Amino acid sequence: MGKITDRYAIVGVGESERSRNSGTTPLHMALDAARSALKDSGLNAQDVDGFMSYNENDSCTSHELATYLGVRPKYVKDIHGGGSSTEMLIGDAVGLIEAGILNTVLIFRSMNGSSGQRVGRGYDPDMLQGALPGGSYIIPYGSASPSQWFGMFATRHMHETGITKEHLGHVCTSFYEHAGRNPKAFLHAKPLTMEKYMDTPDISYPFNIHDSCLELDEANAIIVTSAERARDCMSKPVYIMGMSARQCHPHAHYWSDLDQVASDFVAPKVYESAGVKPEDIQVASIYDCFSWVVLRQLEAYGFAPRGEVGNFVAEGNLRMGGKLPTNTAGGMLSEGYTHGMNNVLEIVRQIRHEYKGTDRQVEGCEIGICTGWSGPDIAGAMILRN
Amino acid sequence: MEYQKPIPLKNQDNSPYWDAADRHELTLQRCDSCHEYAHPPGPSCAKCGSTDLSWVSIGDDVKATIYSYVVSYRPFLPGFQDELPLIIAQAELEKVPEVKIMCNVLECKPEDIQIGMPVQMIWQDIAEDRALPQWKPVDE
Ligand SMILES: [Zn+2]
Repeated sequence: MGKITDRYAIVGVGESERSRNSGTTPLHMALDAARSALKDSGLNAQDVDGFMSYNENDSCTSHELATYLGVRPKYVKDIHGGGSSTEMLIGDAVGLIEAGILNTVLIFRSMNGSSGQRVGRGYDPDMLQGALPGGSYIIPYGSASPSQWFGMFATRHMHETGITKEHLGHVCTSFYEHAGRNPKAFLHAKPLTMEKYMDTPDISYPFNIHDSCLELDEANAIIVTSAERARDCMSKPVYIMGMSARQCHPHAHYWSDLDQVASDFVAPKVYESAGVKPEDIQVASIYDCFSWVVLRQLEAYGFAPRGEVGNFVAEGNLRMGGKLPTNTAGGMLSEGYTHGMNNVLEIVRQIRHEYKGTDRQVEGCEIGICTGWSGPDIAGAMILRN
Repeated sequence: MEYQKPIPLKNQDNSPYWDAADRHELTLQRCDSCHEYAHPPGPSCAKCGSTDLSWVSIGDDVKATIYSYVVSYRPFLPGFQDELPLIIAQAELEKVPEVKIMCNVLECKPEDIQIGMPVQMIWQDIAEDRALPQWKPVDE
């Protein structure tokens, strides 16, 4: 992809209800999210000629979604994916629009992540051994949950950098505080103090329940189009300044080298692509499947030097009024979890200044970063502007 | 009592490792082109893509230090419910430090586990003709 800065925009975002038990199918939720994003953009479903989604065999297809919006699109694409897939599919959409193949693309993620198929749970151990890379070296030792895999990365990184359990707590309490201002956040009415965080028993040390994302039933949708067509939309376009994605470490669940984190490779590329530096960023959505992942990415994306990331969050920099208000709707730890997409919705709304006049609006935020992280092996990121 | 936890499943890529483990011996895959060890093993080298691969015996007396760990308080798989809290760790091999082997550290209290701790591989017989490499702290 050549220089794409400011030539493509996100023109619509929307979500379904979020709950522990939707009582409906991913298709119904995807339709709700898609209709909401279309309404936001002012476009008709027929204006969308490409539909894309990612899933873990837990969703409906793009073809089904288009069908029940009454559209016969030119292009559908469903990939197997998780964190980082949102950015990668937005990159695909931009490429297809650039090539003249498509005009406008709707990207969605829909999952009954609480009442349906839950990540890392309820599978047959023998099936998991076959399904996971290097599964025979993991499953016989009882390691089958993302909290155990990510915890293993975290313990080592904490050992090397001096990050403490309390620093993890600062990530959690900052995001829960944001959820307290967001009536749509699932944990809106569940404030978290440091004392309560530190008193909560661990599930997989170093993580307790607050360090882990909130598995819910939910769908999100995003509409991407060219800057030219964006002018005809009802919403205020949020322009894509730059993006990058990268795969590196060979074994997602079997990490033997802490220096091989895909975010470390993505960071310089995404800044180069957008033509900005970390200090130009005023608001962030940092992928937060676990609290620790935020700390490792703050290091990777240059918001605090290695070894000082713990202090950076302890100083309140992720909160409103801090240096980098992050996951301002509560993030996946306390708003909801759709493998990263809900964080994109929020940063779009922040950059549009949609909360102007309320205590939820990050003052003067013109440029924001949104990161995806699928483990040490895969990352994607994009930089957006007003 | 019968062993209730998952037993390593052998396949095309990993069977030399597990066959050796059943004989109480550790073997690792190594690339003949770039000379890097590959663990977990695969159909070709994950570092350079070469298909020239060999299996190297590390023997039956294997020492390591703990590279990282979690203490798991919930059984995420059947068979582990009676062994909580469970220490799941990565052991960095003394002879081949670039290889980290995921394991449980047995005979160790959760409050005693730490990064850098020396451990010794032990062979846990889990079924007829099947053995699982495990680790325990080295007595000092
Ligand atoms: Zn090689």
